[in-house]
Amino acid sequence: MSDVIGVDLPRRDAEDKLRGRTVFTVDAAEGGLLHAALRRSEVPAGRIVSIDLEPARRMPGVRAVVSAADAPGRYGITIADHPLFAVDQIRYLGEPIAAVAAETLEQARAAAAAIVVEVEEYAPLLTMAQALADDARDLHPGWEDYDVLFEGGERARNIGWEATVVRGDTDAAFARSDVRVIETEFVAGRQNQAPLEPRACVAGYENGRFVIQTSTQVPWAVRNSTARLLGVREADVRVVVPPVGGGFGMKFEVSLEPFAALLARAAGRPVKLVNSRQEEMQTALCRENAEIRIRSAVTESGEIVAREAVVLMDCGAYGGEQPFLTSMTAHTLGGNYRLGAVRLVSRAVYTNTPPNGAFRACNGTYCTAALERHTDEICAALGMDRVEFRRRNVLGDGDLGSTGQVFEGDVLAPMIDRMVALRDSAAPAERPDDGRLYGTATTVGTWFIFVGPSAATVNLNPDGTATLVTAGVEIGSGSTMQAIPQLVAESLGLRPEDVTVRAADTDAAGYDGGVGGGRTTVSLGAAGVAACDEVRRKVFDLASEMLEASPADLVLTDGHVAVNGVPSARVTLREVAERAQAVSGPISGSGSFTGIGVQPMSGCAAGHMIGALDLPVFAVHECDVAVDPDTGHVEVLAYRVVQDVGRAINPRAIRGQVQGGVVQGLGYALHEEITIDARGKVRQTGFETYRMPLSGDVVPVQLDLYEGAPSFGPLGVKGAGEVPILNVAAAVSCAVADAIGKPVSQIPLTPQRVLGLILDREDENVELRHIGPGWRANVIADPEELMAAAGL
Amino acid sequence: MTTELVVNGEARRVHADPMTPLARVLREELHLRGTKAACGEGFCGSCTVFVDDDAVASCLVPLGMAEGRSVRTVESLADPAGALSPLQQAMKDNDAVQCGMCFPGMLMSLTALLEANPAPERRDVHEALVGNICRCTGYDRIVDAALTAARAATGTKEEDAS
Repeated sequence: MSDVIGVDLPRRDAEDKLRGRTVFTVDAAEGGLLHAALRRSEVPAGRIVSIDLEPARRMPGVRAVVSAADAPGRYGITIADHPLFAVDQIRYLGEPIAAVAAETLEQARAAAAAIVVEVEEYAPLLTMAQALADDARDLHPGWEDYDVLFEGGERARNIGWEATVVRGDTDAAFARSDVRVIETEFVAGRQNQAPLEPRACVAGYENGRFVIQTSTQVPWAVRNSTARLLGVREADVRVVVPPVGGGFGMKFEVSLEPFAALLARAAGRPVKLVNSRQEEMQTALCRENAEIRIRSAVTESGEIVAREAVVLMDCGAYGGEQPFLTSMTAHTLGGNYRLGAVRLVSRAVYTNTPPNGAFRACNGTYCTAALERHTDEICAALGMDRVEFRRRNVLGDGDLGSTGQVFEGDVLAPMIDRMVALRDSAAPAERPDDGRLYGTATTVGTWFIFVGPSAATVNLNPDGTATLVTAGVEIGSGSTMQAIPQLVAESLGLRPEDVTVRAADTDAAGYDGGVGGGRTTVSLGAAGVAACDEVRRKVFDLASEMLEASPADLVLTDGHVAVNGVPSARVTLREVAERAQAVSGPISGSGSFTGIGVQPMSGCAAGHMIGALDLPVFAVHECDVAVDPDTGHVEVLAYRVVQDVGRAINPRAIRGQVQGGVVQGLGYALHEEITIDARGKVRQTGFETYRMPLSGDVVPVQLDLYEGAPSFGPLGVKGAGEVPILNVAAAVSCAVADAIGKPVSQIPLTPQRVLGLILDREDENVELRHIGPGWRANVIADPEELMAAAGL
Repeated sequence: MTTELVVNGEARRVHADPMTPLARVLREELHLRGTKAACGEGFCGSCTVFVDDDAVASCLVPLGMAEGRSVRTVESLADPAGALSPLQQAMKDNDAVQCGMCFPGMLMSLTALLEANPAPERRDVHEALVGNICRCTGYDRIVDAALTAARAATGTKEEDAS
């Protein structure tokens, strides 16, 4: 029995964080730093007539001014549509136009304000309905000429990307005489990640290379995107990352780094650039708002013979993550349940709003909410029990997902049983006769681990300790502070405190896909364990001579190499490391990892960067609510989670992630919403108006960790930090609908909105007129060709 | 202009515009970077410090208002070379910390609570944290840790775990 796996070890960074000693990027204060400010657009759309930088250059303290001419490149994930500075056209309010570095922040801001920008304004297209209108202006004239970085998605005018799924004969299934057709519409708001540390960086220019310290989740993506935007070699950008004060996905792509890099090169001095909270509110790469229509054909016995859905995702002014995230609809909205036939389309739509990005369980939150509300409406139409319907229809061993991948293992159904047991283990929530409306809901969700490539090096030091070198960043989740050193310690028979974890530095560590998507423990963990395997082989080779035993008989335990079954025959790792200095040179190992590449069924998925899930993760959430019929206020009375974790390396750390993720989801479900006024300005300019959960809003989550589902992660682990937010909006929406006895089709469920539903006010009814009838009316591609490709 | 104040028990003189937010003076002039300034508008609580006996948002306090007063920051809670304060230790023991940005402010608000009310109820802790936002943890362990620290200090028995 391991004494480091499945153990609640503390985190090594807690004490400094509690003493206020941890230095985040936003705290950087070395001598000689210049301070930078961006000149941002004050209108949401228009043609740039002229930009005069000269007034800024003449301002006191100014050391550098840069603009579009200094940054020739464009970046993106599927389509390189995003320049660093606005070029020719303004596409959102807050878009950078120029950047200034000066001796003080006040001087930089004053100089940025002095830049004269003349813009011929366009009527902004602020909603997806406006952008999809037949006579809408193209946000990206010349979109056909953008570099395509990933092939396969359809594009047209303001539709930046389209992904489709076709499996089985949906038309025939909907036409059956023995089915009932249920249709649901759902609208979800935009959510700001709002990490307490804003986006911040410090850039220098040293020996012809950019050296960037930044608050990011993806050092290698910052390296590559910065090089692309600046038109320099990737090798000429070094990215280092100190502790990050929260990310939640917002720091999953390049942001301020290229501005600071340009300014540092121009000024010949290091430059610090930090977004103010107001800038973060206006320009955060939020979770996108979305609009969904979903239809299903079901038999009276509760079999889902066909499903069809249209998902519109607002990518804002540039594509960013959303073209990639259209992939996820297949696995979230198209997931959970066995479907006879399925046809989906998800579209990333350009609007004159700030670009959106990634946020914990991207796309999954609203697609799961829409799907689970739809599922409850199916149950209501059939008169079936909502939990029993799910138990009978969830994907199990050998079932096909929407894109035709074969799922392995019965996971969701036993998790539902565990949820029932968890509920029964506690006293039921009281329902006093206080005039409030009480409701409850059980929801299921499917998510995945964003596996992808990772590299690791493990050095066995002369003192017998080990150093792990990866590009893994500590964003607060604790993966690099707890689970990963625990995995390395387990592999090498060391105590976790004898494993030093090197902070991320692209000059020291190999490529990594970043900390996000629940991938850290799986991908970096697996790469780390693979590196340990090489160290073990080398250690055993040397120790076998020292102990005169076969390497196959050796084990690593307690900082020693021992002969299995002969406890007295052993040497310390330190002795082996010292011996290595003389015999072979220092011992180190390298390891790498990437996904296994599960493929969709031929012809079923078009435009998908992820056509099938390498490593699915499941969650069952249940919540009890009380709704005040006079105010519309929703109180969450109890919240229960059964989460598929594969294997819990540090159960207490996982519990902390679940509590935090659920609470973020409660904010999303109930009161967090970014809205945009008629002038393109985000109305929520700070934390006074952007209402995040406070201590008094939350309940302790009851949690059951489900172990043992199939996983190729190290020791069978799955990532646990991302998925807790997945079905919170679903559980709350379904519970509120249960309480008030009315369909819920929009989040967040603010008191005003809930009251509108209770009072049947018309303006609370969702009507998605810009989504055409049926699936065919909503695809750019030739629907018949897509069907033919899928064998129909 | 010069302002004299006592910071963490030590008399300090600061040369700055008296309208400069105290949070900025602490961070940039006195290099006490434990005090965070995450929103700059008094809503997140990450810049909470004591001014005399009151826990306040230091981003809203002009330096001039601190003239002659005593300021305590997170760096004062424990001797740099010594043990953590009981509240800090309870946070560590409860594995409450995640990204850590809110904790300096949380600790100051809760230290104020425990100084005023050594035996708080759970509800009192929630009320004391009404001005502190944490985006990572979902609060529950922070509240538990505060109650654990209070019980340890007052010698009361732990409630039955829920």
